[in-house]
Amino acid sequence: MVSVTEAGRDLRLDFFRGLALFSIFVDHLPDNMVAQFTLQTVMFGDAAEVFILISGYTAGMVYGRAMERQGFLIAAVRVSHRVWQLYVAHVFLFVIFMAMMAYTVEALNSSLYAEESQAADFLSDPGVAVVKALTLQFQPAYMDILPLYIVLLAVLPFALIGFRFWPRVVLIASFALWLAVQIDGRIALSAYPGPNRVWTFNPFGWQALFFLGAWLGWRGTHGAVPWLDRRWLLRLAAGFALAAFVIRLSWTLHGLYPPIPALASGKALWLFLSKEDLGLLRFASVLALALLVARLVAPQARFLAGRVAWPFVICGRHSLHIFCLGILLAVLGHLVLNESFGRILMQLAVSTVGIGIMIAVAALMEWFAAARAGAGGRVAERAPLSGGES
Amino acid sequence: MSAPPLPRRCAIALIVAVGLALSPAPRAAFGQEPACPTPEGFAAFEAPLPKTAKALAAGSEVVIVTLGGTSSLGSAAGGPSLSWPSRLATALAGRFPATRIKVVNLAMPRQTAREAADRLAREVLPLRPALVIWETGTMEAVRGTGVDDFRDTVQAGLDELRAAGIEVVLMNAQFSRDADPMIHFAPYLAAVRELADANDVSVFHRYGLMRHWAESGVLDLRTRDSEKRRRLAARLYECIGRAMADFVSRGGAAAPPSATPGIRP
Repeated sequence: MVSVTEAGRDLRLDFFRGLALFSIFVDHLPDNMVAQFTLQTVMFGDAAEVFILISGYTAGMVYGRAMERQGFLIAAVRVSHRVWQLYVAHVFLFVIFMAMMAYTVEALNSSLYAEESQAADFLSDPGVAVVKALTLQFQPAYMDILPLYIVLLAVLPFALIGFRFWPRVVLIASFALWLAVQIDGRIALSAYPGPNRVWTFNPFGWQALFFLGAWLGWRGTHGAVPWLDRRWLLRLAAGFALAAFVIRLSWTLHGLYPPIPALASGKALWLFLSKEDLGLLRFASVLALALLVARLVAPQARFLAGRVAWPFVICGRHSLHIFCLGILLAVLGHLVLNESFGRILMQLAVSTVGIGIMIAVAALMEWFAAARAGAGGRVAERAPLSGGES
Repeated sequence: MSAPPLPRRCAIALIVAVGLALSPAPRAAFGQEPACPTPEGFAAFEAPLPKTAKALAAGSEVVIVTLGGTSSLGSAAGGPSLSWPSRLATALAGRFPATRIKVVNLAMPRQTAREAADRLAREVLPLRPALVIWETGTMEAVRGTGVDDFRDTVQAGLDELRAAGIEVVLMNAQFSRDADPMIHFAPYLAAVRELADANDVSVFHRYGLMRHWAESGVLDLRTRDSEKRRRLAARLYECIGRAMADFVSRGGAAAPPSATPGIRP
């Protein structure tokens, strides 16, 4: 457990990224009761917001620092290398998807869904689907957040230059684009298969969260941002987070037992809850929580270095690997739950075993990194860097 | 961009099952009762259909329009007379012998929500139905249409129907263990639920009902043999038709007052 407490590392990032990874895995299991009690129960939005915000923050911090110390070119190459790793991971997930498809297609074609599923173009023309997956346009289940992350990270070097010379211009432009998406839903990237399909996560909307995070991460390396410490801002965030928690929880409970009223639900809010475009309430909810955590939890708080937080921290540290593993486990869990008709106990078992495997693999990676560092020491200077990047 | 040609919708199935004409129900001939009970509380918290229930009981003429896709056409069972709307007509006729009940099935193969919504003004409203049962969300899930877009489309359709004073039941997708890993239904099921809650209309939770039947061994949805599958489909549609007959004739007395959610927009 020594490795976790290494000096200088912001354990909050690892911890909450780990939490988001567990949440993503559990949310991806079908008809899973456990998914009623993940991040999406306590905030407007879900693990995706947490994941993108933390990824933006970390990227801004790590590559922003790299740009200042090693120059723009080196930083840009490092970002490109990371984009390449994400792309390879995306292709890996697509291979899993294809395997799953091969496994289920025959059953699907002889099911009651046979006729409808003929309209699923990837089944009738898998060759096109492969090409469209390589161009990030085909985003079947599980394969929607990496394409978003890839395009956002690819643009990051330009944003970093912007932060250095005209930070306000970059932030205002980013926010304006987000606002335009909220007003005009047609601003979107089309996806395969058409004609009405768009990217699950609209990059023009979601970029605002990523680049705000990146700016905070970059800015944080130059000392604190004074207005973030204002007391009224903290109060506002606390009030909003609390209201979001109560309202969102009431929706969950209403879904489980309808006589419990769903507070403040209704058509009027739909626009602000859009997951596709990152609606206002989702955006505000994750920012409020982030501000609360930033103010109330120290970067190396005792709890974060302790035993309870350890599984979250190590998973968050190896986030790309653990994310891919989580998707693979969700696919397998899907098959298990479908075969066994898991009721609550089975859902609980699959969720627990899956998270257990994620933790075990992360622990193995930690141990291996430590062993290599101990043996050669060569890795030691790389470790924080690769951890920060993942 | 390789946008696939839209499936040719040549077959526009229009079944007008006049209940009175069908009063000797086909199942009686075989003497087989499909025992497919709905779970307790299946409709307990759904919005009631007072106008429809009243009209059914009043013994006048009642028109019910059904909108939907392939699974509402009955083709998997062998024909339109074996579809659930047709079974619904039969079940209602048995229950309300004095009432002239017309179930007009406007389902089309692979009909999307948008295609269905586009037909409301021209084809549905002129029929002056008391009730529209709208089966939706399947093609959107298969194609991965944006959920926001789907919700807006159905909302516009609901506004149109309710402005005309028509009661609405939304029916969600079919449950299938084989389709589940490939097609993500959850967001569309949730959208149908939200639409119903926001508009105070009811959902016939077909997905949940079929899952319940599959879990409890009432229906083996995984049969591979084509003849068995045809019989399965026939039985399934009959079960759904009957459950729907129960559902639409609940009337206003379905939900006990205490069980009505306090704040439902």
